[in-house]
Amino acid sequence: MVIKFDAIQIGDAIPAYTSAPITRTHLVRYAGASGDFNPLHHDEVFARAIGLSTVIAHGMYIMGIAGEAVTSWIENRCLRKFSVHFLSMTQPVNQDDFENTKDRAIITVTGKVVDKYEENGEKRIRCELVAKDAEGSRKLSGYFVAALG
Amino acid sequence: MADRSKLGLEFPLYSMPVEKIKIAEFIAAVEQKEDTRHIKDIYRDVDAAKKAGYENIPMPPSFPTHFVFWTGGGLQEIVNAVGADLSKLLHSDEEYEYYAPICAGDVITRKMKVVDMYERGKKERKGWYAQVTVLETQLINQRGELVLKARSTFVER
Repeated sequence: MVIKFDAIQIGDAIPAYTSAPITRTHLVRYAGASGDFNPLHHDEVFARAIGLSTVIAHGMYIMGIAGEAVTSWIENRCLRKFSVHFLSMTQPVNQDDFENTKDRAIITVTGKVVDKYEENGEKRIRCELVAKDAEGSRKLSGYFVAALG
Repeated sequence: MADRSKLGLEFPLYSMPVEKIKIAEFIAAVEQKEDTRHIKDIYRDVDAAKKAGYENIPMPPSFPTHFVFWTGGGLQEIVNAVGADLSKLLHSDEEYEYYAPICAGDVITRKMKVVDMYERGKKERKGWYAQVTVLETQLINQRGELVLKARSTFVER
């Protein structure tokens, strides 16, 4: 589906996107894919040594999920700007206590259109984004700008 | 603690090809797929990508990070160069400006610089004080075109 500039109103919500519960294996996959091998994201011993109770997701992994929310709605070649601020840490689900820990590891990204304008000869929209876990804790806020036909 | 004298530091230039398999691996992680055959078509099938208007398989929006971590010494080189303490380092902001598509088959050169270093909050107020380091990265393709600018903010607590 192609999103048209004229069909969009300020205040429109973008479709919500929800991840699966993030596992430690997802974080290892992301580390290898991105090249970010900060041990904070896969080494429990290191995480505890710096005062955390367990490993945490890469902020950039949450940005990746937010990017997936964006490009599930618009083509990624329409993107002109994508900016995020990381708000809190995300712990992965514990496989031995799945039910009690999954909500902290499920990320839902929502957003809405906040502006429509012309710039550089293009019709552009600006959308605000927020990512929260299923406990309601905010992980990331930000925005993107996209050029639409 | 980050070394304030490193403000303005320019990292060496590094180049790398944009690999189709690396895009698939990255998007499989982000889409939480066990199998790269299950990722979105434009990220695994050149024909689907061309049909969607790309020259080749495109990069996902947050993929620029991989040009920083997979070139030079990656994270460790950055940490060493600015004198940061890895055990206190957190990523606080990331911003991309996209000027042209980056696709599989391109060769990307990254040009990175320390553009800002400052202190936030007061040292006496624990939990509020942080040293901030801002890196700007330009990605330039094989035709010499600036295709992306990234701004990455890190804090040390």
